[in-house]
Parts: sequence; C-alpha cells; structure tokens
Amino acid sequence: MTQTRNLIDSDGKRTDGRGIDELREVKISVGTVKNADGSAFIEFGKNKILAAVYGPREVHPKHMAQSDRCVLRCRYHMSPFSTDTRKNPAPSRREVEISKVMREALEPAVMLEDYPRAAIDVFVEVLQSDGGSRCAGITAAAVALADAGINMRDLVAACAAGKVDEKIVLDINDTEDKEGGADMPVAYMPRLEQVTLLQLDGNLSPDQFGECIDKAVGGCKMVYEIQKQALMQKYFGSETELQEEPQ
Amino acid sequence: MHDVKRRYVIPGDKIAEGNFRPLMNVVKAGNALIATRIGIAETGRDGVKVIPLSGVYIPRVNDLVIGKIVDHSSLSWEVDINSCFSAHLPAQDVFGRDFSPARDDMGRHFATGDMITARIMAFDRTRDPTLTVQDRDLGRIARGETLKISATRVPRLIGKRGSMIQTIEQATQTRVLIGQNGIVVVTGRTPEGIKLAVRAINMVEEEAHTANLTQRIKVLLNVPDTPSQQEASSAPIGGAPRIESASEGVEERLEVEGEK
Repeated sequence: MTQTRNLIDSDGKRTDGRGIDELREVKISVGTVKNADGSAFIEFGKNKILAAVYGPREVHPKHMAQSDRCVLRCRYHMSPFSTDTRKNPAPSRREVEISKVMREALEPAVMLEDYPRAAIDVFVEVLQSDGGSRCAGITAAAVALADAGINMRDLVAACAAGKVDEKIVLDINDTEDKEGGADMPVAYMPRLEQVTLLQLDGNLSPDQFGECIDKAVGGCKMVYEIQKQALMQKYFGSETELQEEPQ
Repeated sequence: MHDVKRRYVIPGDKIAEGNFRPLMNVVKAGNALIATRIGIAETGRDGVKVIPLSGVYIPRVNDLVIGKIVDHSSLSWEVDINSCFSAHLPAQDVFGRDFSPARDDMGRHFATGDMITARIMAFDRTRDPTLTVQDRDLGRIARGETLKISATRVPRLIGKRGSMIQTIEQATQTRVLIGQNGIVVVTGRTPEGIKLAVRAINMVEEEAHTANLTQRIKVLLNVPDTPSQQEASSAPIGGAPRIESASEGVEERLEVEGEK
C-alpha cells in the first residue's frame, strides 16, 4: 500500500479523469441469463460482471437444509480471461473470502425464513475485472435476487471509498486500489439504513474513517438509484406510474 | 374496487403508511408497509398486497397443480410439481383406506413419468406438500403437449373470467389444462392447432405485462374482433398489467373445465 506516484493531479482529477466524489459509469441490465430464475449484468467502470440466481430450490446435499429457513449460497468467481494475465480458474483464497462476505452482505436483505428447507444459489461471474468487483458483484446479485422474485426487505447496493494521496475518494479503481492508501468496500440497505458489509484494507485515522464511510454510503445511494431504474425498466418499461384501467 | 390504489413497486419500496393490514408480499416496518417483491401494489380496504411479477411456485393448500410422477415408495408416489418441494401422493388416496402394499399394485394406477392433475391437500413449513386426486377431473393426464410457464403468469394466461384461455382454445380447437404451478398441458385434434396454442401461450408468458396483449393474441390466432369481445377483453391501457388474484382465476378455470 505504499504510494509511488501522484494519483490525483493538480486539477483534482484522478487517473481516469474523475473527480474525488465521482462514481464510475454504472450500467445494469436485468434478466440476461434465461435459464436462471433471476439474473443481472453489471458494468461498473471496466468491471463486467454477471450474476445469476437459482431458487428457492431443493437443497443438495440434503443435510445442508435448515428446517426454519432457507440456505443462501454464494459463489464469486473470476473467469480466467477477466484479468491481464490468465487467472487460474480454481477457487482462490480471495474468491472463497469474497463468496463468504457477499453471502453475509446479502443475507440481511433476503427473507430467508419465508423459504424453509430450500436453497437459493447466487452465482457471480466476473468477466472483466477492475477495482471494486466485490461491490459490483453484490450490487448485481441483489438485482438478480429481486428479479428472481425472492422476498427481500430491501435491495443491497454496494460501493467502495478509499484514500488516495491523503484524500478520501469515492469508488476507487484498480490502480487506486493497488497504489492508494486505503480501500473500504461498503454494502448498504438504503431504506433500512443498515450497513451489511464493511471491510478496510489500509490505514485511516478516525476522522478519515468517518469521512470514508460517509462517502461510501453516499455512493451506495447513487448505485441504489441505478438498481431501481434497471428493475423498473425491465418490468414496467418507461412507465413509472401505473395507469388505471377504465372501470 | 373503486377505492383500490395501484402502483409499481420493487423490494424495499414504501407502499403506504398507517393502520393497514399487510396481506401478500408486504411487511410492516413501524408504521410503514414495505413491498418485498417486484410487482403491483394494491392498497385497499382489507389491506395492502403486492401482486408479484416474478418468482418460482410456492405451494399453497387447495392449489390445483399439474405434476409428474418421478418415483414411488411402497406407500406413496413422489411428484415433481415444479417447486422447491417435491410433493407426495399417498397410495391410500388412490386405493382407499384399506390399501395394502403387499396386495395392491401401485403401478396399476400411476407409473414413473405419468403426468397428473392434483390438488394440494396439505402443506406447511415443516412438511412437503401432500396431494390428492380425489376430485372431479383430477388424476392421470392421458396425452398432451406439456409446457412450463412462470407461475406468476398463470392468472394472465387465464384472463378475466377465463377470457384469454377461452380465446386460445376456441381459435385453435384445443383444450388447455393449466396448473397453478405453471405447468400447462395442451391437447387437440390437429398438431397445427396445438402448435399455434403453444405459440400463443408462450407469447402470453413473454408479454404478460405489456399493453394490448389480448389484441395481439387475437391477431396471432386470426380471431376477428367483435364489439362484445372488445368489451370483455378490456386490454390494459398504456402498459398497465392486468393480473387477477391467482386463486380467483383458477377457480374460474376449474368451473370452465367442469362444464366440458
């Protein structure tokens, strides 16, 4: 995490030309995998990630079933072609960890008690990676869960913030992640105002920590609006208000 | 129905605030009623509900379902009902209370691979659904083309007072059996008729939430539009989805089936 070059220029612009409070371009399309019960494809800057949800369905192996609630299983995986050099397709330590934190970030939103003895499988496949792929993956997975018609208390939106050149910036990219001072991915349920994921890699003072979390939550709220728009677009087209049929 | 307010919602949306009863796909958080599914929220005098536009089939007692026999033990058949729970049809339901596994041959009634129509007799959170075939028109389906649609599209396929399915049946000279679990069986005299009915059903599934669907189905089926039909179909205006309560729709359908 030692910084070797200036990541913010004299005009306050970052390596990819963004301001410190600017999100990368985010595009979400819903229902991209026909075989899945729910799916979403997200482009978060250079990240391209596919999320597919299957279930509620029978639990295999059966001993994993819980009698009072559903089992949520997540798999985060990076394709061998998602990085500059080939990535071994076998699950790495990092992928196992992200699968776990992703499950824990989504679990509070999903009403698991509505589907006892069943399982919901969430597959997140990174096709092209940039920094912040876990946040983009969680965002896409939440949309895919909603698309699958699974009861949810709220959507989960995720966004990272971090420290670059001693400044707190929103939504750090790959270069800033590798060369910057700190990276803090946050997942957030905007209606319930609850944080479901908070990780920190790097060093922050207490003041910087507060600023960083505020900025990340602000980013999550922006991402949430994009999630909402994508779901509305798929199910209701350009209409936002339902027009009543003539009685 | 004049005082029912409808709007589009996604999970987490606040539908209403106040002393309303949460009915279907709605949770109460403090004083607010929150949607838990994507769909159309209806706020009426009895409470607030969300009619979902996506999701898999979750069994309910008294649902009419179409299933496939996948296996049997000495006491019951296991039936795939297109849900996360596999259903059981007890042999006693078919043979009567004096059923004896040693004496009675279960293969005489249903074999693995058979399609059946059945009603869900019992289901709760702790046990798999139990089926019954002891009712009019229930039991083995002899023949037909089987297709799967989303269970949330079933009421749309049936239509208001069975209008949509009657249109399809009459135009294609077929008989369409619809299970609330989204399994549909089409039987008919000619393969062309069956093929056309399947196309129409798939179109209903894909375009269930779009405007003027009844009209487009009629164009596909070459059905002339009569003024009375126009009134009956009352296509939704401006893309408003028209989804009836699933149970109402299927009850209507059963009555239609019974008359045949």
